[in-house]
Amino acid sequence: MKKFLLLIREDITNDGNTTDESFHAGIQAMTKWVEELAESGNYLGGEPLQSEGRYVSKDFILSDGPFIESKEAISGYVFIQAENINQAVSIAQSCPEVTAGNILVEVRPIIEMEDE
Amino acid sequence: MNETDQEVQKQVNRLYKSHYGKMVSSLLYFSQSIDIESAEDIVQDAFTSALSYWQSDGIPANAAGWIFRVCRNKALNKIKQGEKVRGFFEDEDFSSIESRATESPIDDYQLKLLFACAHPDFSPKVQVVITLKYVANLKVEAIARILGMSIDGVDKLLLRARQKIREEKILFTEPDLLFMKYRIPIVHKIIYLIFNEGYKSSWGKEIIREELCEDALLMNKALLESGLGNKDTAALHAMMLFNAARFKARFGKDGELLDLEEQDRALWNRELILYGSKFLAQSQGGTISSYHYEASIAYVHCMAKSFHLTDWESISRLYKQLLENNPNPFVEMNYAIALYYAGHIQKALDILQQLQQKPFLNHYYLLNAALGKINLHEGNFEKAKAFFLKTLMQTDSQVEKDYVQKLINRMDS
Repeated sequence: MKKFLLLIREDITNDGNTTDESFHAGIQAMTKWVEELAESGNYLGGEPLQSEGRYVSKDFILSDGPFIESKEAISGYVFIQAENINQAVSIAQSCPEVTAGNILVEVRPIIEMEDE
Repeated sequence: MNETDQEVQKQVNRLYKSHYGKMVSSLLYFSQSIDIESAEDIVQDAFTSALSYWQSDGIPANAAGWIFRVCRNKALNKIKQGEKVRGFFEDEDFSSIESRATESPIDDYQLKLLFACAHPDFSPKVQVVITLKYVANLKVEAIARILGMSIDGVDKLLLRARQKIREEKILFTEPDLLFMKYRIPIVHKIIYLIFNEGYKSSWGKEIIREELCEDALLMNKALLESGLGNKDTAALHAMMLFNAARFKARFGKDGELLDLEEQDRALWNRELILYGSKFLAQSQGGTISSYHYEASIAYVHCMAKSFHLTDWESISRLYKQLLENNPNPFVEMNYAIALYYAGHIQKALDILQQLQQKPFLNHYYLLNAALGKINLHEGNFEKAKAFFLKTLMQTDSQVEKDYVQKLINRMDS
């Protein structure tokens, strides 16, 4: 099994536009998805991210960063293990928020250091 | 529908369940130029023909052979002239196929299909869906209902999967032993997930759930008998048997959900438990997989004379070991519950509180149900009620809602 980070990207300017009901239904669908991933042994962890943060470089610190207005800001992550990248992609495709067209998922393999 | 028509319909349904995937895979083996989509069309057509012909002419003596023959003729029309074909179509002896099928519902074709479904490029969910379709021979509507998906969703998923199955050489060539060995862990996982789908309490008392568990057991048995299985296969078999043994006791006579404490242990199937122990013994001596731990946990439950006489200490130790190699917050919850009943109340509460902080888990109905029950036990009725009310919002399953409502009512009265 290899490890992958699923970076969840979405239009965070949309935040707060969803009704309580659809928000609740979304959470329930995601919980079920994560439960299934845990049952099949693929789930390692995951957390949502706040939409505000700091953007840091050598010369400046921006309090909101370039991501606050972004259509594709990272809004959370799910850490999984999978047989290969194709399976990781297949897993990402099964995420209910992806199916609903609400988010994009970037699938990034973790570089694993080989034992010397 | 008159009696004959009903009889024909029943026979066709039975054959569909036992032969559908087998016929599809036979057609794929028969000719390279038949892809899985046209193979499925051919088999569907053949079953439709059977239904209408048999209603007027009666059911032939060799019913499966009849359908096989129709498939062959339709297939021959599809393929190029002079193309080399192979497989059972070369000899006309269908009776052998049929008699073999009655001995074991899962034959070599289906076993091969099972390994094809275990393609590492598919997510476990896709693997489960295609296995239900091609190995367990379930119709799309049934799969959608079982997995809580839309029919359209299942269709789309199958469409994508067919492409890969077509590329799968395993259906067209003799299976390579090394290759099969490599896929065995995935096959185990598929069988495990199918069994769990059938076993989940949220289903209620429906026949189809029990059939799913049976399908999983049959596949695993075929794996064991093929000689491809290993110690993990035996452990998985033991685990499924121990849980299947308790199947009937999980629901009351009105179909209501009964928790472990309320179950009538006299309804547990002693024979299945004994049979399971045989496999648990067989599974020893190699490396220890998660199936070994899960089987052992189920075994300890099966051996307990009553809920209170359960060896919770051993169960919590087994959960701890299981978690060491397979970190999983959902299993951690079960670990905490076992700790609670073993008398390690503070440690149990600490873990549950920690789990509550985790994303996804704070919206998980079973966690809130567990917290509710523990608070009920501890006499914190107000807290218990708050957790139960939260649970009611978080599950769509009516049997589970009824169960939680029952606990709330008990507190109120």
